[in-house]
Amino acid sequence: MAGMSMMLDEAVAAAPAEIARVLSVPPSPAFWAAVLLYGAAATGFLISFLAGKPAAGRAARALFLLAFVCHGVDIGWRGVLRVHPGASVREALGFLAWVAAGGYLATTVRYRADLGGIVAAPLTVAVLAAARLSPPGQAQAGLTSLGRVHIVMAVVGVALFAVATVIAIVYVLEDRSLKGKKFDALTFKRGGAPLDGLDALSHRLVLAGFPIFTVAVVLGMVWVSQRGSTMERPEYPFALVSWGAFGAMLVTRVLYGWRGRRSAWLTLIGFAAAVTVLVIYFLRRSFGG
Amino acid sequence: MSRLFVVGISWRTAPVAIRERLAFREDEIEGALDTLRGGAEVAEAMLISTCNRVEVYGVARDEPHAAIGEVRDRLVQSRGLDDREVSDALYHHAGDQAVRHVFRVASALDSLVLGEAQILGQLKGAYGVATHKGASGPLLGRCLERAFGVAKRVRTETTIARGAANVSSVAVELAARVFGDLTGRTVLVVGAGKMSTLAARHLRRAGVEEILVTNRSPERAERLADEIDGVARPWDRLEELLATADVVISSTGAREPILTRPLLKRVAKARRWRSMMIVDIAVPRDAEPAVGDLDGVYLFDIDDLEKVVAQNLADRARAAEDASRIVEVEATHFEQWMHGQRVVPTIRAMREHFTAIAEAEAQKTIDALHHKPMTPEQRDDAVRRLAQLVVNKLLHRPQTVLRESGAGDADRLVESAVRLFDLDPSAFQPEAVKVDRIDKANAEALAATAEAGDATTAPVATAPPAPIVAEAGKRGS
Repeated sequence: MAGMSMMLDEAVAAAPAEIARVLSVPPSPAFWAAVLLYGAAATGFLISFLAGKPAAGRAARALFLLAFVCHGVDIGWRGVLRVHPGASVREALGFLAWVAAGGYLATTVRYRADLGGIVAAPLTVAVLAAARLSPPGQAQAGLTSLGRVHIVMAVVGVALFAVATVIAIVYVLEDRSLKGKKFDALTFKRGGAPLDGLDALSHRLVLAGFPIFTVAVVLGMVWVSQRGSTMERPEYPFALVSWGAFGAMLVTRVLYGWRGRRSAWLTLIGFAAAVTVLVIYFLRRSFGG
Repeated sequence: MSRLFVVGISWRTAPVAIRERLAFREDEIEGALDTLRGGAEVAEAMLISTCNRVEVYGVARDEPHAAIGEVRDRLVQSRGLDDREVSDALYHHAGDQAVRHVFRVASALDSLVLGEAQILGQLKGAYGVATHKGASGPLLGRCLERAFGVAKRVRTETTIARGAANVSSVAVELAARVFGDLTGRTVLVVGAGKMSTLAARHLRRAGVEEILVTNRSPERAERLADEIDGVARPWDRLEELLATADVVISSTGAREPILTRPLLKRVAKARRWRSMMIVDIAVPRDAEPAVGDLDGVYLFDIDDLEKVVAQNLADRARAAEDASRIVEVEATHFEQWMHGQRVVPTIRAMREHFTAIAEAEAQKTIDALHHKPMTPEQRDDAVRRLAQLVVNKLLHRPQTVLRESGAGDADRLVESAVRLFDLDPSAFQPEAVKVDRIDKANAEALAATAEAGDATTAPVATAPPAPIVAEAGKRGS
């Protein structure tokens, strides 16, 4: 993560023409279709949850799948035009949203998680819209292979954490309604997945994401030091907090058997820190600084 | 009216003391079907007898109310009852109402516990017996098949069957909320109340593998363990037992809480905070409320369970409105189908009959045109005559029937004629009423015009419905 920010403002090698080209490739129609479909899916999940219409939930899942496919087509199409998913913050955010959406879809195979969909679908739309509609800002340049690997690994790691977080949010809400005996709360009535299942799934996702994220952080640090730039950026501590929180979640589980509510909160802290890092990148790219 | 009918009693109309006297054992049903169909009025029949209802669904040979009377008598007699004892409790429906009733029963809208799943199976069983006996025919069969379809629609399209409807099932449902699949889980029953037996049975059915039983009295623990196929464990190892149990059902007679917070905190640690559900159905309660604050410990007392039941039943009642709408739509469709069953052959016969007449007359005219040289005027006349002939032939029978109709019949026939031939009813109004209302001079003038009119066209063109037809009949005779 740390290195990712550096790439944004420190041009190293790429020709300006290539940078301009990457930034000027417009999104394909499939991209806009994906945004619309994600939005429609979000509405469907909301209707399914609030009004208890199972048909709306089924439709929303189908729309989400369709959106995911369109989104993938757009990323592939950009790949054909030699726009790498790690070529800029914009591309990386879009790719992150795509991997996370895929992760959410994978969980719906096992659990009916419309509540998760209410979190996941609008989040995807927001990330895509933020990446696409914001000013392009400074061009990403000097992208070495190391940088590309770093970005893609960071994106995959954070995407897995994102799905784990969505599930942790659902866990916290369901746990709260069950403990508080709020039997008429919608989180109780429409809660689809069992708490133990949510906890195990969230844990497994963090377990899978953590090594990837760790390698990304290490590569980022190597990259930063290669370029000899300073380590003092506001986002670096947040990246470390994120790494630490996810690490703590895994370690406390093994050592003390922490799970459920405690694990869910550690996941939320870790992800909030990761999002802070992304927001800082994003603001800097869009508005300079 | 269709020939379908329903006769029966249910929990709505009769207490169990009466229902049980009318009930049939499974092995008595076939014999009862023979009895029910032994009379002159019943063409098809099936009999369903459950703890909440005894009902006969049938098709009359002719008039449903005659069949209803017959079935009622035979039902009561076959049970050796006096009609007076059950007459208030027995209800009946015919035609469209019978269809609605069958649909509602199949969809569990008429059940004591709305949306319960058993009735559909019972209905299928009863229908199976009737089919096997040859007692069910095409109309009843069609109605029942449709009822099963409606029930399926109601179950999938509404939430009427959702949410446990009794305390034991709620315990299982809540356990599923925490653990998901219950296979391989361990249940610990603390104390030996009747409710805990029930809940343990429900959990066993939901896939729970091991049920441990513990009680202050080892004998009672053994006895309960035998009853629910569990394993009795010594009371002094309670803490250890709690640590192995995923679900604890507690119902001891203790005055002070047994499941205290310090105890459960040790247990939760020993379990490494794995989720644990405690169902406390004892009064006074066995578990301190603060136990429920521990991470991963979900505590429910009897009030919580009752609350969920009440809420689920309320939800079902709300869903019943949606379900009723589905039943209404389906019943209307079915009525249209039944209606079509009666009307379509009539329409076909009518068309064939009319076509035959028109064909025959047309052929005669064609032959005449071929054989005789004619002037164009003669040809025109021939075509006009043909049209008139066809009209005369087609109207011959209706005219005769109308003229010969009795006083009671006439109203109905005239009304049919008006509807079938789209006549203007304002062109003819009841003369008797008019005579009463208007003055004599007007009445005479009216009579004069009626006399002046052509006898064959008067009834349909200018005459008021009933009286004129009666008069036309007189004139014709």
